[in-house]
Amino acid sequence: MRGVVAIAQNTVREVIRQRVVLVLALFGVGLVAASQVLSPLALGEGRKVVTDFGLAGSSLLATLLVVVLGSSLLHKELERRTIYAVMAKPIRRGEFLLGKFCGLWITAAALVAGMFAIVLGVVTVAYGETPWIVAGAMTLTVLELGVITAIVVFYSSFTTPALTAFFTAATVVAGNFADDLLYFGTQGASLWLARVTEGVYWILPHLTVFNARGSVVHGIAVAPERLAFAAAYGLLYLLALLIVAGAIFERREFR
Amino acid sequence: MSTNQDTAHRPGLTPPGARGIHAVPTIPILSLEGLRKTYRDPMTLRPFTAVDGVTLELERGEIFGLLGPNGAGKTTTIKLLLGLARPTAGRVLLDGREPHDPASRSRLGYLPENPCFYDHLTPLEYLDLTGALFGIPSVIRRRRAVDLLERLGLSGHARKALRKFSKGMTQRVGLAQALMNEPRLLVLDEPMSGLDPVGRSEVKALLREQRAAGATILMSSHVLAETEPICNRVGIMKLGRLVEVGAVSALLQSGVREWEVAVERLSDTIVTLLLAAGHDVERVGSRSVIRVRDGEALQGVLGQLVQGGVHVHSVEPRRETLEEHFVRVLDGRAGAGGGRS
Repeated sequence: MRGVVAIAQNTVREVIRQRVVLVLALFGVGLVAASQVLSPLALGEGRKVVTDFGLAGSSLLATLLVVVLGSSLLHKELERRTIYAVMAKPIRRGEFLLGKFCGLWITAAALVAGMFAIVLGVVTVAYGETPWIVAGAMTLTVLELGVITAIVVFYSSFTTPALTAFFTAATVVAGNFADDLLYFGTQGASLWLARVTEGVYWILPHLTVFNARGSVVHGIAVAPERLAFAAAYGLLYLLALLIVAGAIFERREFR
Repeated sequence: MSTNQDTAHRPGLTPPGARGIHAVPTIPILSLEGLRKTYRDPMTLRPFTAVDGVTLELERGEIFGLLGPNGAGKTTTIKLLLGLARPTAGRVLLDGREPHDPASRSRLGYLPENPCFYDHLTPLEYLDLTGALFGIPSVIRRRRAVDLLERLGLSGHARKALRKFSKGMTQRVGLAQALMNEPRLLVLDEPMSGLDPVGRSEVKALLREQRAAGATILMSSHVLAETEPICNRVGIMKLGRLVEVGAVSALLQSGVREWEVAVERLSDTIVTLLLAAGHDVERVGSRSVIRVRDGEALQGVLGQLVQGGVHVHSVEPRRETLEEHFVRVLDGRAGAGGGRS
């Protein structure tokens, strides 16, 4: 476990030193600017628009960060051969992978928390009311990022950064439309197609489980049972992915 | 300068100051048995054997030099013994454990060839990370990191980002991280690479220090002049095979290769006679060096010189260097050792 913690700490440090804080600062400035522009156009719904814009923007930015940084995280280690000295220490490859995953997820979660804090701050200052209700949506977004980080780590365990980024983006998009895919499968002509779409439906991450941003904007809080279900589903899904990724990475040759 | 003779020891004997190696004296610190690694070209699927049936055992407390030209299979052998690559056939045991067992690496220090470390870190941070991976308590690893940086002449750069380091400085950081866990086995892939003469001399002193502390060292190199004075034994690799293994002194021809006779005022007549007899003569000003390949002919040459009134300055035997032996083995002119230790 000490190896996982050390690798995770190093990954957090690496991402932070890649000036990720700058992304956060830019987001804050962008949000303040957007709130000033959008509010007069929103016909009294300025608070909702700013909150919605802020939540969606922070989720998208954090996802982009995970995909961009995550897709090269392992490849860079192999290409620059920094992994050689690390893997000569008493650490399993699976632990190394888990450390990378934890470091990236922690960084993304901290980024989301920072951006949500900016949303809260901007809404409080502009409308005199703090929308604490967004905390539930933020928790779900953090869980969603965990699943996306696991997807990135999974693909990066066996393919190139470009393909990792492409496959992850495709999986995230498909994961947001998993229900539609199942529906279209049942509308098809053949039983075979229905079976295939059903199989893909169960394999794909159901990312809509983690999206409560629309409802919290309209004042509907995230129910504790939904949070519990999303947490259980998310953790099981990412664990399964990490186990498969670990098994693949364990067999990988360092040339 | 230490010689191979004064550092050699018999297998099974525990060197003084050994780091707790007395508990398992009979298990070799490193054992390679029929090790083979075949890669396949991803495009043509044609197999390529990088390491071919390497068998070797390292004795505790020795410095073993793994020599060979580029592409001989030295680095692949090291990767196999560290578990970075899987052997196609054969077996590796590190202190009795297989490389996939992390415990096998708990007392191992490794310096990769052309090392590259996390350049967002400072040397102090990198050594701290290394110590953490070994499970060394933070207070101890902090102290050890500071000591090692001091020992390797990097204390003035402890808080500078590694991306700003020169090749030689990075090499020193590599040595420092390899020593963080006070290893019993040090595996160094081209440790002299990128170092200036002072740096190389310091590294040699460091390796002797480590051996005195009980560490066993496996170092790969193609800088033979640097290897010869510090290695007890060497193995020469060629096309993936370990073609010769032995003590440096035993590998080099024990007999004298030639005699160098330094003289003053050598007359042209004598030069003609010497050349006719098949000896080499090199003239620099009033001085000349005569190279006599045959020990028996030396007496005749000396008599001829004395008779001719030539002032003989010195007579020195010249033995084969490791470099000359290495070239001879690679050319296939030396008897192969069968690849066994």
